[in-house]
Amino acid sequence: MLILALIWLAIGLLVGVLATVAQLQPLSWGRRAWLMMPGIGVVGGQAGGWIGALLLGRYFGTATALWFAVLLVTLTPRLIVWINARLRFTGTGNTAS
Amino acid sequence: MARRKPVSALPPGSAAPAVGLKTARPAQHLRLSSGIARATLALLFGVGFALSVIPAGRTVARAALLLPAIVAATQPAPLILAGAPIRHTQLTIPSRGGTVYLDVYAPITSPPPVPGAREGVVMISGVGDNRAVPQFVNLSEALARAGVVVMDMTTPTLLAYDLAPVDGDAVVQAFERLARWPGVGADRIGIIGFSAGGPLACLAAADPRIRDRVAFVTLFGSYFKASDLLRDFGRRALVVDGHVQLWQPDEVSVQVLANIIAGVLPSWEGAAIVNAVAPGGTPLTPAELAWFSPAAAAAYHLLVGDEPARVNTNLAALSPQMRKLLAALSPSTVVARIRAPVYLLHDRNDHYVPFTESEDFAAALARLGHPHDFVEFGIFQHVEVRSGLSVSQLLGDGPRLFRVLYESLLVGG
Repeated sequence: MLILALIWLAIGLLVGVLATVAQLQPLSWGRRAWLMMPGIGVVGGQAGGWIGALLLGRYFGTATALWFAVLLVTLTPRLIVWINARLRFTGTGNTAS
Repeated sequence: MARRKPVSALPPGSAAPAVGLKTARPAQHLRLSSGIARATLALLFGVGFALSVIPAGRTVARAALLLPAIVAATQPAPLILAGAPIRHTQLTIPSRGGTVYLDVYAPITSPPPVPGAREGVVMISGVGDNRAVPQFVNLSEALARAGVVVMDMTTPTLLAYDLAPVDGDAVVQAFERLARWPGVGADRIGIIGFSAGGPLACLAAADPRIRDRVAFVTLFGSYFKASDLLRDFGRRALVVDGHVQLWQPDEVSVQVLANIIAGVLPSWEGAAIVNAVAPGGTPLTPAELAWFSPAAAAAYHLLVGDEPARVNTNLAALSPQMRKLLAALSPSTVVARIRAPVYLLHDRNDHYVPFTESEDFAAALARLGHPHDFVEFGIFQHVEVRSGLSVSQLLGDGPRLFRVLYESLLVGG
């Protein structure tokens, strides 16, 4: 299982780097994106691998790690931007009131 | 530091100067690599999702790792790594024909929540003791690693290189035992019959006790009609597409047929025929055959193939008991009662059972409108993978083998 977990980690890392090349990160992240995106990919790969192994069986953990990592690197930056925007909007609203 | 916005000195509509291209190229390159990376990510997402979530894709994933395990007759590292840890259990159960010996290869872990139950397979390896044959053990272990509970079965009759219709009950009992195995879905159990295990698989699949629950029947290197098989043995030739083609049966197949026929002969006649066709046995002389009943003499000539021109006469001379037994051991007798889809596999150069038997089986299934598939190979020697295969042979037969694997594994998808 350790080797599988390492494979899922490598998959997440690769997906994160690909996502950075694909410029899926917000512009505001700047050079930090080269750390953030692979980090998100690694989290996605590990989470996908373990969830896949638990729900579908360890035979399908690697395939789940793959699509889950892609899903996470695609959605997480947008989610962060959206949350930041909402926080900023809420902050502005509070100041106004 | 505030950036200054570049302002073009050129009038609108004029061509960009050569120096401007130097800044445009990296931007274009960036757009291209970004596009390729996005397309790759989309592809990875689609492939990963299909192979893990969609049942057909999950089956493709399992078949893809099983195929090299079968062709190379060893388990590839990815299968060992990704597959479930397995356990081998031996047990016996009773049946009408006597004790049934079971070797169960099953994943140690409980079945995953999705799909909730495992696929099970009853495998009948044919005559003789094949329980420790490396390729058979390898197949059982590989299937188990892929999440299938494999129950290899044999009987005292099969171990004695013989075949008896009563052993159809042994397969039914094994099926019922597998249906009660922890984690196995009762509606996800198939039967695989290798060689002489084929007719037993068919007898069980047509049995009213289980025929509505059998998910599939896969027959590899098996026969359809025992009397036709005997005719081919007697002729030492096959009729392929209307042309006669010489064919020499393996001595093991001749011995098995001799053992079957000996069962309905007086013991001295049966023993004489079995001894004559055994390895190193002496052919019977005309003087010895003169003491035989016409039916026994006809059976002997069919087995040894010394009267190819009189095959039809010899077949007609078989006793009613012999005909009854041959019919009872023929899938052709029960084919109309089988409900499950039937997958037929046969090597074109099979010297144990002619591949024309599977062709006849496929033709009968087509006439009945029964769901089936028939695949011919060139990479097997009877039911074992040959060694020293060329790349072209593997590329030719690999997709066909993958297709049957996919069809057989789909019930567990």
